[in-house]
Amino acid sequence: MKKIFTIALWEFVEKVKTKSFIISIFLTPLIIISFALLPTLLAGDEEAGIKAIGIIDTSKTYIRMIASELEKYKLKDNQPNYLIVNLTEENKSIHELKENADKQITEQTLFGCLILTHEIHDSITVEFRSKSIPGLKDLRRIEEAVNTAIINKKLQKVGIEPSEAILFTKKIEVNSIRLDKEGKESGSDFLVVFFSALILIMLLLMIIISSGGMLIRSLVEEKSNRLIEILVSSCKPDELLAGKIIGLSILGLFQMFIWALVAIALAGSHIIPDEAFSNILPMLIYFLLGFLFYTSIFVGLGSIVTTEQEAQQITAYLSLIILLPVIFIIGAIEAPDSNYVKILSYIPLTLPSIMIIRFKVAPVPIEEIVVTILIMIFSIYLTIIVSAKIFRIGILSYGKLPSLKELILWLKEK
Amino acid sequence: MFFASRWFIFESVNIHFIHFIIMLIVKNLSKNFNTITAVNDLSFEVQEGKIFGLLGPNGAGKTTTIRMILNIIKPTTGEITFSGKLINENFFNMVGYLPEERGLYKKSRVVDVLIYFGRLKNLSKSHAFNEGIKWLKSLSLLEFKDKKIQELSKGNQQKVQFILSVIHNPKLLILDEPFGGLDPINQQVVKELILSFIDEGKIILLSTHYMDTAEKLCSDILLMDKGRTILKGSLSEIKQKFGGNYIRIQFKGNPELIRSIPFIKEFEQYNNYSEVQIDERVKPHEFLRLISSDLEISHFSVIEPTLDRIFIDAVKKST
Repeated sequence: MKKIFTIALWEFVEKVKTKSFIISIFLTPLIIISFALLPTLLAGDEEAGIKAIGIIDTSKTYIRMIASELEKYKLKDNQPNYLIVNLTEENKSIHELKENADKQITEQTLFGCLILTHEIHDSITVEFRSKSIPGLKDLRRIEEAVNTAIINKKLQKVGIEPSEAILFTKKIEVNSIRLDKEGKESGSDFLVVFFSALILIMLLLMIIISSGGMLIRSLVEEKSNRLIEILVSSCKPDELLAGKIIGLSILGLFQMFIWALVAIALAGSHIIPDEAFSNILPMLIYFLLGFLFYTSIFVGLGSIVTTEQEAQQITAYLSLIILLPVIFIIGAIEAPDSNYVKILSYIPLTLPSIMIIRFKVAPVPIEEIVVTILIMIFSIYLTIIVSAKIFRIGILSYGKLPSLKELILWLKEK
Repeated sequence: MFFASRWFIFESVNIHFIHFIIMLIVKNLSKNFNTITAVNDLSFEVQEGKIFGLLGPNGAGKTTTIRMILNIIKPTTGEITFSGKLINENFFNMVGYLPEERGLYKKSRVVDVLIYFGRLKNLSKSHAFNEGIKWLKSLSLLEFKDKKIQELSKGNQQKVQFILSVIHNPKLLILDEPFGGLDPINQQVVKELILSFIDEGKIILLSTHYMDTAEKLCSDILLMDKGRTILKGSLSEIKQKFGGNYIRIQFKGNPELIRSIPFIKEFEQYNNYSEVQIDERVKPHEFLRLISSDLEISHFSVIEPTLDRIFIDAVKKST
């Protein structure tokens, strides 16, 4: 027991001191958060500046109405966001008008041009031509303006004035309110949940992958210089394995702790919403269980490699498997009670991540919590036993990777 | 009743003050890996204060034998006892090991590494620190104690590794090629250390394929090849057994004359002299008489065979 502690302490202290750890502890959250925030920041940037939009409508029915709809949008300095230019000319064909508009667009005097073409049976096709693809926000506003104009016109035909038309066209927004276990309301903006869950899970997976990679690299080093033989002539292989897993877990928790401090500081200054911290305790438990599970896989497989290259290969494969649950995040947020999410939350490989998401999205029944935690504990126990058997022989074998048949032989050895 | 208890007391005070000699005994040791027999029925014993040489070419089974003695792998059959007990986990703290491949945690500080391995051998932190400093001093490495391992020269790294194997004052010391990669000065330092361990009564198992190393240090040797024992015994006995038929000779004349003699087993010419191995049944002076009339001899001596030669002959004979 004392030797396990000695090994755990050594593994922790020596790895905390490395430059790569110190860099990763600050760099990883920075990268992940900027990945999450960058798209919104960039999207917000589009608003800058007035955009000139030309309209071609041979019937001239809709131009004024669309223009007035679009001119409602203002920039921060109260300037209009869109400047509407009427490009419809009486004596020119639609073809010539288009050419003219295209010229202005390529010369960048216009941001884009909206063309309404009237066809038989009162149907209208609308196209928006622009040099660069318009942002989602612009497109949505233009669509809305065109629709409002057309509906208003139709309503006018049946005798409803535009001032009354608003009663028909006004859209109702549905506010989603999530009830937690006590039935209290808590907000649930899809994006907030999505990003806080995504960031959290990405961070956890990054911890596991980076510390797992460190573990494999140090095992390869110990194997190549035969330090491993001095180690196992000083303690039992199982003690060495336990010490390494515990040391690494402390390292992971330490990393979590520092990140939590940073996050709390950011939340204090309202950079991170408080929402991100709901249910933090059960999520931590699932994280720790997941960490132990993945680390014991890393230790077992890490012990069979001899070269740096093999170590990299194995780390890459394991990382892919560990990152697998990220694919299911959107599904789990959109439908936390669907069957496939339920199934995934019983498979050890995906269980921790999926359960963390489910805690973010909907209350989880207590039976499920108990069952999933038991599954995790059992799988950890099983992987440690299997890993220990592989470890015992793996650390002493050099040269080529063992075949599956050899691995099975190792498992049978007493 | 009275008599019975008196007898009991009488017997219990009858203690024999005999100093038990601590020994490492390896008995009928074998190890199979699947179909390959790495070690085949190996037996030997080492007393305290002795250096035992485990010799053999690469792949002879030396490392496997060492691993079994270190309790890293279990033998297929046979047993290993140390001071009368089968080796177990408590044995870990009594044994020091210097593997053939050298290397340490490159990014860690010298003193930290020493404390870590000292603690793994059950020393307290302060004890490990004190021992580490003592050893660094005696190998004149004290100035490097706070340096990272990778900042040390190769020779100094090796000396640090040597300290690792002895920091806990082990009773049994297993050294695998202890002089590999050391310059002559450091070789001398390490050699003197090893010899001083004999006076302290340590048991030393030395594995090497450099015969001159073994010849200088070991009192007993075991020569193995392909897992089997080829030669075993004290070095002087072995030399005697193999000696007597090697002759160094310096002469002028036609060397073909010697080569044509039927009882010459081997004849090698060097720059200044030649070495001849004659058949064991022929006496050296008979050989001398035979050639003295035809060759002008300036030097003639019976030499002890080097361990190198015995080694090569024995391995050749066994295959």
